[in-house]
Amino acid sequence: MKKIYYRLLIAVLIMPLCATAQKVRVAVAANAQFVSEALATEFKRTTGITAEMIVGSSGKLTAQIEQGAPFDVFLSADTKYPQALYDKGLTTQKPKTYALGVLVLWTIKDIRPSLPILARSQVKKIAIANPELAPYGQAAMECLKVNRISGLLKDKLVIGESIAQVNQYLLTGAVEAAFTARSVVMDPELKDKGNWTVIDPRTYHPMRQGVVILKTAANAESAQKFYDFLFSDAAKKIFEQYGYR
Amino acid sequence: MADLQPLWLTLKLASVTTVCLLLIGVPIAAALATTRYRIKPFVEAVVSLPLVLPPSVLGFYLLLAFSPAQGLGKFLSDHFNIHLLFSFPGLVVGSVIYSLPFMVHPIQSGLEALPSSLREASATLGKTNMQTLFHVLLPNVKPALLTGIVLTFAHTLGEFGLVLMIGGNLPSVTRVASIAIYNEVEALNFHNAHVYAAILLIVSFIILLTVYSLNKRTTKHLRSPL
Repeated sequence: MKKIYYRLLIAVLIMPLCATAQKVRVAVAANAQFVSEALATEFKRTTGITAEMIVGSSGKLTAQIEQGAPFDVFLSADTKYPQALYDKGLTTQKPKTYALGVLVLWTIKDIRPSLPILARSQVKKIAIANPELAPYGQAAMECLKVNRISGLLKDKLVIGESIAQVNQYLLTGAVEAAFTARSVVMDPELKDKGNWTVIDPRTYHPMRQGVVILKTAANAESAQKFYDFLFSDAAKKIFEQYGYR
Repeated sequence: MADLQPLWLTLKLASVTTVCLLLIGVPIAAALATTRYRIKPFVEAVVSLPLVLPPSVLGFYLLLAFSPAQGLGKFLSDHFNIHLLFSFPGLVVGSVIYSLPFMVHPIQSGLEALPSSLREASATLGKTNMQTLFHVLLPNVKPALLTGIVLTFAHTLGEFGLVLMIGGNLPSVTRVASIAIYNEVEALNFHNAHVYAAILLIVSFIILLTVYSLNKRTTKHLRSPL
């Protein structure tokens, strides 16, 4: 009887070790959280490796990586942040563009999305991601400035800490409009929540979303497999489904 | 140089919250200290919830409650044009709920520790319950009142999760010091984060030191702030 107990105990102690052998930890910018779930499902189906997603703003994840966060792969919302990590010698190679981000204006059900409508009284609050930390927030600010409405809307803007909080504000009805990623509004579960329109890509700098593998990757082999998978035809199809260019 | 606005905002939030809670907390504490109703444990549990609940739970419920799209938020928005989300008054409402036990507990235990003869004597001399509370009982629990005030103030200084969820991070409106620290760390401006953090640390320590010194000198029954 005692032997069984010991064996069970050892099995339980070893379990987490087995689990780490077949997984990869991916830090994901908030705009890509839904597409990355679809990617993870496909990746698991073809390789049997579980991809764990940690979602946050690109700036936050970069800060965490600099402080030694145990991630293997980093999918940023731009190239600037992964480039900074590369410059500090924390990544195996230069950032490579895995997708081009598309900015959209998302509004609640009874408002038709357009830039002019933002100035009207029915839109009381507009959510954007923090322009200092989130590329989509920066792009939204650029768009408002190019259209010369940033001053006009100043008192209506609410700053979410990342696209994720911006989405949460719109879905709870806390704001009437929000600047988010097309990959969010094209998620099957969010498709019918409100209305959206694509923002003219000439009004903001293109968002080349870069990916890097971290030198400290605990699961280096799985990380490389996931990285290669990102540039496969199967992944390209998934990115297109989620509205990336 | 770090912008001092978030610190002022934090002090303002803590002060306003403390005043509001004094008005709300004293009657609740008095009622709990004197009541013999069976409902008492239930009310005590509700009042104490913010001690154990993660601030994100409160933040999540308040985000839904204050949203102008439905329920209470819609009612306030439609009839009174009040918008609590992303506004200073909204943070005050949240903080009042969040710091409620810190005001109620000390005052309640202070009142419960008073000999019942005080209240009875006052009643036989023809004073109403209200007069008794304000002229006899409360003056006798001054240290407890002070503890409640100071702890409420200090606890509100340390608010973070709740503000993160319903504040919207607006400079000089809802960007309090704790949120400013979070921002500065994320933007890798450690110098500014240090300034805010050090000031909060020192202020909090001085406040708590004051509470414990006062407790030691005055009452025996208030061993701990709570």
